[in-house]
Amino acid sequence: MRRGRAGAWLVLVVVFVYYLVPMIAMTRFAFQRIPVIKLSFGNLFDKWTIAPLIETFKEPEFRSSASLSVQLAIATAALTLILLVPTMAVAHLRSKRMRRMIELSSTLPFVVPAIALVVGFAGAFRETLPMFIRSPFGLVPLYVITALPFTHRALENGLAALDLRTLVDASQSLGATWYRTVVFVIVPNIRASIATAAFLALTVVLGEFTIASLLLKNTLPLYLSYSQGQNPQGSFAVGLVLILISTIFVASSNRLGKVVRS
Amino acid sequence: MNSRVAGSLNKRARHLAFAPYAIFLLVFLVWPGLYVFRSAFDQGSAPKNPMIEAVTGQYRSSFIFSLRLSFVSAILGLVIGATVAVALMRLSHVRGLRNVVVGYSAVAANMGGIPLAFAFLAAFGMQGLATRLLKGINIDLIGWGFRISDFWGIVLVYLYFQIPLMTLVIVPALDGLRRTWSEAAQSLGASTRQYWRFVALPILTPALLGGFLLLVANAFAAYATAFALSAGSSKLVTVQIRFFLQGETITGKTNLGYALAAWMVIITAFLVLGFQVLSRRAERWRR
Amino acid sequence: MTGKVAFSNVSKSFGAVKALVEFSLSIDEGELLTLLGPSGCGKSTALRVAAGFETPDSGDVSIGGTSILSLPANKRGIGMVFQNYSLFPHLTVTQNLEFGMRVRNISRDKRSARVGELLELVRLSGLSDRYPHQISGGQQQRVALARALAVEPRVLLLDEPLSSLDATVRIEVREEIRRIQRASGIATIFVTHDQEEALAISDRICVMSIGRIEQVGAPDVVYRSPATEFVARFVGKVNDIEIEVLSSTKARLHGHSQEIEIASAGKNAGLGAARLLIRPEDVQIVRPDSARPNVRGTVKTINFGGATTTADVEISGTGHLVRVADSTRNMRYRVGDSVHIAFDTERALLARGGA
Ligand SMILES: Nc1ncnc2c1ncn2[C@@H]1O[C@H](COP(=O)(O)OP(=O)(O)OP(=O)(O)O)[C@@H](O)[C@H]1O
Ligand SMILES: [Mg+2]
Repeated sequence: MRRGRAGAWLVLVVVFVYYLVPMIAMTRFAFQRIPVIKLSFGNLFDKWTIAPLIETFKEPEFRSSASLSVQLAIATAALTLILLVPTMAVAHLRSKRMRRMIELSSTLPFVVPAIALVVGFAGAFRETLPMFIRSPFGLVPLYVITALPFTHRALENGLAALDLRTLVDASQSLGATWYRTVVFVIVPNIRASIATAAFLALTVVLGEFTIASLLLKNTLPLYLSYSQGQNPQGSFAVGLVLILISTIFVASSNRLGKVVRS
Repeated sequence: MNSRVAGSLNKRARHLAFAPYAIFLLVFLVWPGLYVFRSAFDQGSAPKNPMIEAVTGQYRSSFIFSLRLSFVSAILGLVIGATVAVALMRLSHVRGLRNVVVGYSAVAANMGGIPLAFAFLAAFGMQGLATRLLKGINIDLIGWGFRISDFWGIVLVYLYFQIPLMTLVIVPALDGLRRTWSEAAQSLGASTRQYWRFVALPILTPALLGGFLLLVANAFAAYATAFALSAGSSKLVTVQIRFFLQGETITGKTNLGYALAAWMVIITAFLVLGFQVLSRRAERWRR
Repeated sequence: MTGKVAFSNVSKSFGAVKALVEFSLSIDEGELLTLLGPSGCGKSTALRVAAGFETPDSGDVSIGGTSILSLPANKRGIGMVFQNYSLFPHLTVTQNLEFGMRVRNISRDKRSARVGELLELVRLSGLSDRYPHQISGGQQQRVALARALAVEPRVLLLDEPLSSLDATVRIEVREEIRRIQRASGIATIFVTHDQEEALAISDRICVMSIGRIEQVGAPDVVYRSPATEFVARFVGKVNDIEIEVLSSTKARLHGHSQEIEIASAGKNAGLGAARLLIRPEDVQIVRPDSARPNVRGTVKTINFGGATTTADVEISGTGHLVRVADSTRNMRYRVGDSVHIAFDTERALLARGGA
């Protein structure tokens, strides 16, 4: 038993080091005014600065791509919820079969990798509905689909934990319409999983590269990729910020997920 | 059934309620998917059917590279992720440890893309911090031919999200192992090894298979990380597809990109089906 | 092959919780001994120490005179049946039964012969290819028992094997266990917190409370002559009546003038306020002109319980409720009837102090 525990600690420590090293390297690279070649143990505490980040924040290209990413993220979260919440609520209320079909469909994006999806999308829409390709907001539906496996799961957990039928019956026996029932009864009762789904959608969009890159839309990850050459420190710094943000989003959705379950 | 709900939401309306979602999927998922396949089989003026060309010659080795990468990173992710989960189980008396590890796993499993590639470039690139540190203690990665943009380099990076993904799958599965099973096995004379071999592993197999599939598909579809590590020149199928979409200049081969994408879908679907069958067999005793 | 199992001075604590305190007990060959006690009193801990899943802080456990503490759990030759879910879910009934033999490398032929015997023993021959979730809870516990017996253990430990079953199945499986234990002659420790179960199944009962042994004895002895107030209360129902002890043979109900005999019960009580612990069947409804000292009361409730019926009688003047049990044949009273009750204190227990 004791030996088993020592081994277990060893495993965790080794894995921990593996997880830590790239993050430390990236942080030092981004925030120390020391040429990469010279970074060593000796100057671990020297010349720290957040200037690379500040300077990057001032760049107009950064600003435009950051603002585009934020807008896309919000639009994606919104469209996801508008599309999924009422549909899944009805499915939970009325039809086990529909529930299963929606569940199945939510795993489809798993079979169609993002790269295949965007290739098909570009081909199909270029001829018929080119505005979807031209406008950066054409990305939103694709993002909704990319995030679907995660967002669906989050909402499913919330709905499954609820006695939806009783709630809806009560609401409608008081004369509420279906629309009002969704907005005023169902939504408040699953707000934790709605927030979880929204956080997951935001995380997916802020990190998504494949689709934006193939449709040549200047989102934040694309900015990172392009500016890596001229402004390596700045782009690494922004990359760290992105990691931090997605950490916060995932952590909050985890926390909320626990609320749903309890 | 409650008559009021049924009244306000009759059968017709009920189907209507599913319409927006269904139409959305048709337009933005099914249609692009079908378009990929239609174009993939459209030979046009090319000398060879794109579907055939996509799995011969240069592109065949791309697929092999991608699949090898997926399986190797998934197997390593499975083994290491499972080891971490078992270590957590052993250390269950340490309060809070599990929450921290599982919480961080959720974060790391979602990581990827450009920022992750940057982190590994900073650590294991030619001039990376870790690279130089290791060289200082006579582990000369670069001298041995290690490149972060090559096969093992990409594996090293992918493990960053593969390991925690597997841990997330296995931890709840390990929770499902009842203490009485291990005690019953012991009281019947089984050693710890025999318990794992004859009891725990078979019970965990469906979860392990499911997790493994998730990892393979995850790595197979990945694009951004490898793209950034190799500055756009990777052999990965996903990176290859990019050329065709952007430069439709390669004459006569317009549809090759679609064919590559179509094969990706076919392979993923095949993997899913295969694992479905395996899990079903491993799970016989559940039904 | 089997031998006497002995715990000597075994202590075990979990942090501040003392699960076993100087626990000493021996179980004879072929005997079925029941550990009986409320939840958390250390019954499972005692079994788990014997089985090798917990290491005692001090003391020793031996089988046939040799200590087993240095042996790992899988070398002790102890069969164990748990409360529930202990069958391996991915193995059929047959495969579960074979498990212990497989890890011992016993040949296929011998295994299937033994499985056949065991299935017959627990009367489940038709279910050999089912998975655990395809058979009922009672059947699962019978398979678990057979599986424990398959490797011919020296001792059998049963930790509340019936508690997840419903009442009728519980009695059926209980009788099955008794029959099989008799047939195999294996020393068995049976854990339960159900006193009725303990009384029905055991050769001897060991009553425990928070880590200590209160009394060990045959079921009728434990029931009829509880050694302590704890035993009296825990095994069977008991009336708790405030009295005043007047002499070594006489007492008076608290707040009442009637004197009653306490001849044998009074041995360890001083004079003054005390409590009389007396079983309902030792209180009788008598005719008013009975020669025995009796008190008047009113029937407040009647509880029909099949063969026996109990009545709660409120003693006039004191408001005290006393439960009376008798066979349903004799119990012909109604709520509100005025009756006289007498106390047969021969087997009653006196406890110190008023309420
Ligand atoms: N592994 C453990 N860690 C900490 N405390 C424990 C552990 N096992 C048992 N205990 C404590 O030891 C005491 C005795 O537990 P035990 O399981 O032996 O009781 P029991 O008589 O079997 O009760 P029950 O009828 O509920 O099964 C309890 O207070 C319990 O909380
Ligand atoms: Mg117990």
